[in-house]
Amino acid sequence: MSEKHNFGIKPVTCHAVSGDKNGMALSLNDHEVKIYKKSGGKWQETETLDEHGQRVSGIDWAPKSNRIVTCGADRNAYVWTLQDGKWKPHLVILRINRAATCVQWSPQENKFAVGSSARLISVSYYEDEHNWWVSKHIKKPIRSTVTCLDWHPNNVLIAAGSTDFKARVFSGYIKEIESKPSSNSWGTKMTFATLMAEFSNGGGGWVHSVSFSPSGEKIAWVGHDSSVSVADSAQGNRLVVVKDSFLPFMGITWVTENSMVAAGYDCNPMLFTYNSGQGSLALVSKLDIPQEKAAGTISAMNRFKDLDKKASSGDTSAELKTQHQNTITQVSVFEGSKDKCKRIATAGVDGNIILWDLGSLERSIQALKIS
Amino acid sequence: MAATLKPYLNCVKETLTAAMCVQNFDSQVVERHNKPEVEVKSSKELLLTPVVISRNEKEKVLIESSVNSIRISIAVKQADEIEKILCHKFMRFMMQRAENFVVLRRKPVEGYDISFLVTNVHAEQMFKHKLVDFIIHFMEEIDKEINEMKLAVNSRARISAEEFLKNF
Amino acid sequence: MAKNTGASKFRRVDVDQFDDDKFVDDADTEAESAEGANDAEVNNLLAQGKSQDALKLVLTSAPVGSKSQAVKDRAFNTALRVLTSFKSADIDKSVKALDPRSIDTLMKYIYRGFETPSDNSSALLLTWHEKTFVAGGLGSIVRVLTDRKRV
Repeated sequence: MSEKHNFGIKPVTCHAVSGDKNGMALSLNDHEVKIYKKSGGKWQETETLDEHGQRVSGIDWAPKSNRIVTCGADRNAYVWTLQDGKWKPHLVILRINRAATCVQWSPQENKFAVGSSARLISVSYYEDEHNWWVSKHIKKPIRSTVTCLDWHPNNVLIAAGSTDFKARVFSGYIKEIESKPSSNSWGTKMTFATLMAEFSNGGGGWVHSVSFSPSGEKIAWVGHDSSVSVADSAQGNRLVVVKDSFLPFMGITWVTENSMVAAGYDCNPMLFTYNSGQGSLALVSKLDIPQEKAAGTISAMNRFKDLDKKASSGDTSAELKTQHQNTITQVSVFEGSKDKCKRIATAGVDGNIILWDLGSLERSIQALKIS
Repeated sequence: MAATLKPYLNCVKETLTAAMCVQNFDSQVVERHNKPEVEVKSSKELLLTPVVISRNEKEKVLIESSVNSIRISIAVKQADEIEKILCHKFMRFMMQRAENFVVLRRKPVEGYDISFLVTNVHAEQMFKHKLVDFIIHFMEEIDKEINEMKLAVNSRARISAEEFLKNF
Repeated sequence: MAKNTGASKFRRVDVDQFDDDKFVDDADTEAESAEGANDAEVNNLLAQGKSQDALKLVLTSAPVGSKSQAVKDRAFNTALRVLTSFKSADIDKSVKALDPRSIDTLMKYIYRGFETPSDNSSALLLTWHEKTFVAGGLGSIVRVLTDRKRV
């Protein structure tokens, strides 16, 4: 059902998994990136990438070309390549003057996008001639910090969410390195930095995470007003919003063409399903169903112990009922792909990464049907 | 009077739970800085609507939240002059030792007696639900404490008055 | 040498206001029910004892999109009068009959009510808050905090 891996008491701010699922790169809320290797069901620390000057804010591991890109609050990004068993950094000049917040490789891994507090997105690609990474900026009409990014499967479009309460789709087409993209459901004209679509779900609420559906036709995002929204470009950019009674979500990812998993301040991943025919979006089930502990029988001795030590009587356990004990910061596909996800990984402020096996969860939780 | 204490504390607790959703957030105004947005108020889109929860005119809590920090200000019940003095002295005592309380602010927000500043760092180091419990516990205890002190001051005054009047 | 004047006024100058990329609130295009509920109509309903209908009317016609503070104040006073007209035993039932959107608006009015505590209104609002919380959960409080359209 789920495996819990602990990485200490510090928050796991960001994580990324290698293509073969045996490597993990993560940052524990500081300037270092730690590389772990899986051996016998345990994660062993193999290397520390110590190049950033301030907190690392984003990591992405390219599965095919086996390169890691990291970005941090020190406004820099590094591309790491494995040479003779060691990770070698390559500085990328992002030309941003505020912290970088998130980073992601494009699906073809020939460029990557970095969101930043400088109210822009920096798209970087490798220039063979000069032997370095060159950056181009997407500026308009972003009015606040870019908090999250996701690439369209066609390697051109970028979805971005920001703290000005909007989710946007931009073109990240770099004419120097790729051929002209064919038109798709989001539009036809795709010169660099074109705004393809802009969505707001009405209320306020910073966008915390955004995700393209596997086909690229839909985007889903979560906002600070406890909402999950889906915009469907195949249906003329139809927007469906569900505002729930939970705390806000921090991360969202699609797990099939119609379902997505969101998690956040409630410490509990939840599955949502979108029905494009009816245009409806609904919560299916929570993934973390707590086992009820046999409570009620508190022994006399424990009772007095509690009274003595904590000056309290009764059940005042410090633990939450969920597996994560603090906010979940990131949700990612661990095994499989977005259209057929087998396992997802959630990283939390409590220092845990939990892997959830969707197949076995579907069998064990009655209400859970992943379509 | 006591009938509204429980709903009042519950209401504060729920609001705090909802407000204490903070994340690490680097300043978008000053390069390489990271500061509590609720204090610097540099970009208005990062601030949330401040809310007040009141039990009556005198007792209320102000909760101001932002993307990476929340500020909680408490106005404590002060029925008469002696309670006012006691409250003032007691809060001063604590705020001078603010660093030992971690989340305490050195100066209260205007119109309130004591303020807490919870940032994302606190939310990362401590369990969120425990932080909320701490604030609620503080509110529960502070009334009790001031009442006790008031009784102590009164009985002490009575004894000294008696001793003094014995001479005549 | 420059004289220290002790002036600190310049520190308060907002230089960022000239930043082109600065965030500005969306100009509200939708002018939905900018007037708020009709006072006479609400009074009429209250006089007939139809508090539930009055509540629904007040919540659905809340002037959240309006820019004028006077309109909002008037709507708020009407809403407060409706809220205080309920007996505390009836609150539970009436909250359950509301749709999620109205519950969010109701929560906003409750917090607005807390800002101006008057004789005994707080006790009643606390009861309202308790019942509304059961229906709307933490999400409804989060939306009071995040929503830029205030009541």
